[in-house]
Amino acid sequence: MDLARRMFMGQLARFTAGASLVPLATVAEAAINEQPPRRGGDPAKRYAMLIDLRRCIGCQACTVSCHLENDAPLGKFRTIVSQYEVDDPETGDMSTFFLPRLCNHCDNPPCVPVCPVQATYQQEDGIVVVDAERCVGCAYCVQACPYDARFINDKTQTADKCTFCTHRLEAGLLPACVESCVGGARIIGDLNDPESTISKMVAEHHGELKVLQPEKGTSPHVFYLGMDERFIDRPEAFASIWDIHGKDNEELHYEFSGH
Amino acid sequence: MNSAVIEILAPRYQIAWYPWAVQYFFMIALAYASLWLALPGLLGAARWKATARFAMLGAMTTAIVAPIALLADLHQPLRFWHFYAYFTPWSWMSIGSLMLPPFVFAIIALAWLVWREPMLVWRQRGDLFGMIARLVTLGSWQTPRLLVVTLALATTALSLGIAVYTGSEVAIVKGRPLWNTVWLLPFFATTGLIGAGGLVLLLSRIAGPRDPDTARNMLWVVSAAAVATAGVALMWVLEGLYMENSSVAAALRSVRHSAEWRSTSAWGLGVGTALTLGCLLLLWRKPQRGWSWIVGLVALHLAWMARWVVLMDVQTVQKQTAGYLEYTVGWGSSGWLGVVGTFGLWIALILVIDMLVPWRGALGGTAADAPDTTPDYSAKGAASHG
Repeated sequence: MDLARRMFMGQLARFTAGASLVPLATVAEAAINEQPPRRGGDPAKRYAMLIDLRRCIGCQACTVSCHLENDAPLGKFRTIVSQYEVDDPETGDMSTFFLPRLCNHCDNPPCVPVCPVQATYQQEDGIVVVDAERCVGCAYCVQACPYDARFINDKTQTADKCTFCTHRLEAGLLPACVESCVGGARIIGDLNDPESTISKMVAEHHGELKVLQPEKGTSPHVFYLGMDERFIDRPEAFASIWDIHGKDNEELHYEFSGH
Repeated sequence: MNSAVIEILAPRYQIAWYPWAVQYFFMIALAYASLWLALPGLLGAARWKATARFAMLGAMTTAIVAPIALLADLHQPLRFWHFYAYFTPWSWMSIGSLMLPPFVFAIIALAWLVWREPMLVWRQRGDLFGMIARLVTLGSWQTPRLLVVTLALATTALSLGIAVYTGSEVAIVKGRPLWNTVWLLPFFATTGLIGAGGLVLLLSRIAGPRDPDTARNMLWVVSAAAVATAGVALMWVLEGLYMENSSVAAALRSVRHSAEWRSTSAWGLGVGTALTLGCLLLLWRKPQRGWSWIVGLVALHLAWMARWVVLMDVQTVQKQTAGYLEYTVGWGSSGWLGVVGTFGLWIALILVIDMLVPWRGALGGTAADAPDTTPDYSAKGAASHG
């Protein structure tokens, strides 16, 4: 009798404890503004990109091929190569510096926890994607990204960004920007595979690799080789392209900037 | 810092939140701050009852217009139901979407409770207004005072949630260093109080009956809120000087290199100082208090401008490329039309309520008997509250 009662009470305690824990567990998947669990994608992989700036010639083939592949609206870019004139601190000579920019597929992506409808999420393979069917176009993620990697697509009125061309990766193809890079500057691969080219390059150049705005704590997964330190944060640069004014002192926009 | 870096090619990144966002943050701050101004009167403070009448009109109308502006800022407004289908407890915006409807409905319910008392008198009328009064009051029972007090306290609790979420939503954005400071929360609240105080001063001038207590209360509130705002700004700067704070660093950089930011800062500081001095002058010189409505207009301007600077101007500071976006507000619905439309809707709502509800008679006030008679300004507000 006692034993039966004890067993019953034990079962009851387990049941009630379980019942109280289940909803708590689902509600408290993440604290406010912390990363929710990743979903989808291959959990065995961690995609990343390494950009060898020594090989980039600023031809914008990546920009154009990405635009064609992903049908981005004019004037908005999933990837683009910024171009700067810089002086050599030692010789004073001017040279050109190219900086390809794209989504950094951060390990701590600030764009993900802000999304109010879980339309933007990180896959288990590290790629950050947007479900355009669910996105409400609040642009909170656009504000949250410190890299300007996101924009509102004027055609779909939803958030848009680089996806490392997941649709191509799944088909065994390289992303459009990697495929079209004439200098072979962009290397994509799986960091979890020690035999991948990117893993080998990361191991070889570990001390020289740089990421953008590391102080933001986002842990970016686009690594730059041959990076000029002046461009890790917002460069203290003279924005010459925007300083061209017409005879009435109006700013002369280039053709895409009128959005 | 290296002046020899020249940006040759970079896109100029556009703004993602339109002036609709300013309208939302302005309206919702007026709503919760007006409620705070109405609270003492709702709880029974005699010298705050006239203030509460104006403040309830302000709170109720802004609480209705605010979510409309918010909805318009979505690029996919028809998908608003996704907020409720996919609740996301780790997103401040999602938490806000859950807080907003109860707050709006609570304010509407509170206004209904407060206004149905004077509306009971209109139930006897044979015209359209009588019919509406009979429908809206839901019977001729007297409003229990305990219910008003309870709902007022509950709505105030909800309003604190709204103040916290609207501030946090913006303050957690590390991508925009100028937003990324905890001082944004009290800044929104204190500038909201400046605006709400200004709104009450303005309403008491144009909607009457004018009330000496209201003028005095609101001049105190606006000047205290202005001083508090200055204190918040000072704390923000001090924190930046003594601690690692990228928000202040970004602000100083913006001001140093941009003539527009310099003039904006100077304007804000100038208007804030003038507003405080104006309040103190009118508190000191009682016969001149008829000019309080000008203080009200300036206060509303300051509260609106604070949000414009925080939400719009900050978006023109490029995140990782050089320079600033030369943003010009368009004429369409994402620009001035949205701004004017929101204000138009708000004024229309005030006029409709003014026509259908004898709100001046709430909380023991003296109501105009008929909606088509001019309010009797000679009454100078309820003498019983003096």
